[in-house]
Amino acid sequence: MLLFKLAFRNIFRQKRRSLLTVLSMAGGYILCALSFSTTEGSYKNLINLFTLDHTGHIQIHKENYLRRPKIYTNIKDIESISQMLDRRPDIVSHTLRVYAPVLAYSDLGNTPAKLIGIDVDREQTLSRLKEKIKSGSYLSVNMHNSDYSTALIGRGIAETLNLTIGGELVLISQGADGSVANDIFIVQGIVGNKNSKDKSNIFIPLEAAQSFLSMQGRVHEIAIQVDSPDSARKVSISLQEALPELTVSPWQVVEETFYKSMQSDKEGNRVGLLIVVFIIFIGVLNTVLMSVLERTREFGVLKAIGSRPSKIAQLIMLETSLLATISSGIGFVISVPIIAWFTYVGIELEKPIDVGGFMFSHMTGELSTYVLGTPIMIIIGFSFLVSIYPGIKAASIAPTEAMRSH
Amino acid sequence: MSTEKGRAIITTESLCRYYGKGETEVRALDNISVSVEAGEFTAIIGPSGSGKTTLLHLIGGLDNPTKGSVHLSGVNIANMSGSQLSDFRRDHIGFIFQAYNLIPVLSAEENIEYIMLLQGINAKKRKEKVEEMLVKVGLENLGGRRPAELSGGQQQRVAIARAMASQPDIILADEPTANLDSKTGVSLLELMRELNQEQNMTFVFSTHDMKIMERATRLIHIEDGKIVKDERK
Ligand SMILES: Nc1ncnc2c1ncn2[C@@H]1O[C@H](COP(=O)(O)OP(=O)(O)OP(=O)(O)O)[C@@H](O)[C@H]1O
Ligand SMILES: [Mg+2]
Repeated sequence: MLLFKLAFRNIFRQKRRSLLTVLSMAGGYILCALSFSTTEGSYKNLINLFTLDHTGHIQIHKENYLRRPKIYTNIKDIESISQMLDRRPDIVSHTLRVYAPVLAYSDLGNTPAKLIGIDVDREQTLSRLKEKIKSGSYLSVNMHNSDYSTALIGRGIAETLNLTIGGELVLISQGADGSVANDIFIVQGIVGNKNSKDKSNIFIPLEAAQSFLSMQGRVHEIAIQVDSPDSARKVSISLQEALPELTVSPWQVVEETFYKSMQSDKEGNRVGLLIVVFIIFIGVLNTVLMSVLERTREFGVLKAIGSRPSKIAQLIMLETSLLATISSGIGFVISVPIIAWFTYVGIELEKPIDVGGFMFSHMTGELSTYVLGTPIMIIIGFSFLVSIYPGIKAASIAPTEAMRSH
Repeated sequence: MSTEKGRAIITTESLCRYYGKGETEVRALDNISVSVEAGEFTAIIGPSGSGKTTLLHLIGGLDNPTKGSVHLSGVNIANMSGSQLSDFRRDHIGFIFQAYNLIPVLSAEENIEYIMLLQGINAKKRKEKVEEMLVKVGLENLGGRRPAELSGGQQQRVAIARAMASQPDIILADEPTANLDSKTGVSLLELMRELNQEQNMTFVFSTHDMKIMERATRLIHIEDGKIVKDERK
């Protein structure tokens, strides 16, 4: 109590100096909070863009299909798994997929392509495939009136094979039973542009793909969406327990390269921020040392009349911590509206940024306890660190020396 | 610790304090063996640089002797650790310095209260004692003022009140009147003498001032770090 009174009054003694210190620490807080908000916010956007383009937050496969995709490595019992997934409250939606490499023909030539059989209804709830259709329309489960199944094709295939809506497409592949699969499909829509990830994909309804590849009742992949990319790991652990024969992977594993590059980018940001904070606190250290030096006599008297050295050190550290707390408070009050605006309104970029094929046009921040709380810990933690040395210095002032310095 | 009259409360044996080494060695104190009895009102006098401040600091445990020992009420303070010595000073010694005694951010009352707070005395007792001391030093209505709002003499009165509030056995004062005009100095010393008689507290103070030393019951003269004369009245 006494120490608090002393510390509090001492920081109001040199008002201008304390104000400068508070402003620089509050600046540090705001800098950290804004930086965390933008990185967290834009990565959350990016992760959602990335995962909800096609991948989903979690994927289920048989064995090591992710690393060695083989047509035979497929999931049985999809009916019961699908029901189980529908019942779980922590899962927003899921969809079923079949994959196969195919050779696509038209009258004009041929090209290798990636065939993806999709659950026409469920796919819409999880990926943006439907939104990426540039001409034509989305698949329908009903057969085309010509008895042929319909297909969506990537822009690359459309151009190479010179196909337009309604055009006939011949696919040749190998079935899961070893037979040769071939069939005719009618182009119903064209997906994306020449550079997008889907440029050489062909999407057909799941049932058509299963019968084309002779793998009725089986799929290669179940993609799952949860409420936030952050909960993917947690949910996938519990799903893995429920499905011991299958392999459950969160997006961080499925899209490992993307995840790792994102992590190292964040690391880089943190190092940059740390350097700035370090510079701020060298200034703070300097101020605290100065204030100790000026009060040499006073600390000498305090020690002479019976204050323990540790009390003096505590006083210095308390003064610095109080300044840091005030600074964090000011930083918090200033940061919240800025970050809230940034989170709920955001910045519309004049030119969208292309991040690995995803167009990024709306930048938003994140408002969370992490974004607002971590800077408090940084500011108070650093201020504690920089007050140790001045504290020891003040505690070790010899009362005699202090008393002689007139 | 009792303060029975006639008993040695401060004893120094062959006390030496040297500064520097070899050619530049200064013998600030050289073989001081002296004993002060409880309740004495002792002045240490001598020319500038004779070692008065050094002696008071050694007696008060603010500094360590080069040789020799200091016993306070029979306890050798050389054997104490840093915080033991802090606590010993807090409980048994009151200090009054020449100037800048007070903590500028604390009011007169809070300055007086400070040591009692360190001692863990309860709020009610502290308040009573502060009131009592303010009356004793004649500053009844000025308790709320900060040191900067008090005159030099008033500040020294607060310093006396602070030194005495915690009921120490010994009060050490290094030229307590040097920064005051002679009239204020004399009245301050008269106050100290009254309190000395009233509470039977042991006072040891240094001074240059003839008018001040007249009021002491014992005069220890030092020169070049040695006691040259020791007279009781
Ligand atoms: N830290 C120090 N380093 C070196 N010499 C010192 C130091 N402190 C004191 N001295 C020397 O010790 C001697 C005694 O000093 P001290 O301050 O005790 O004298 P004093 O009697 O109190 O003098 P004054 O009346 O001027 O206050 C002096 O010669 C002084 O120069
Ligand atoms: Mg002196």
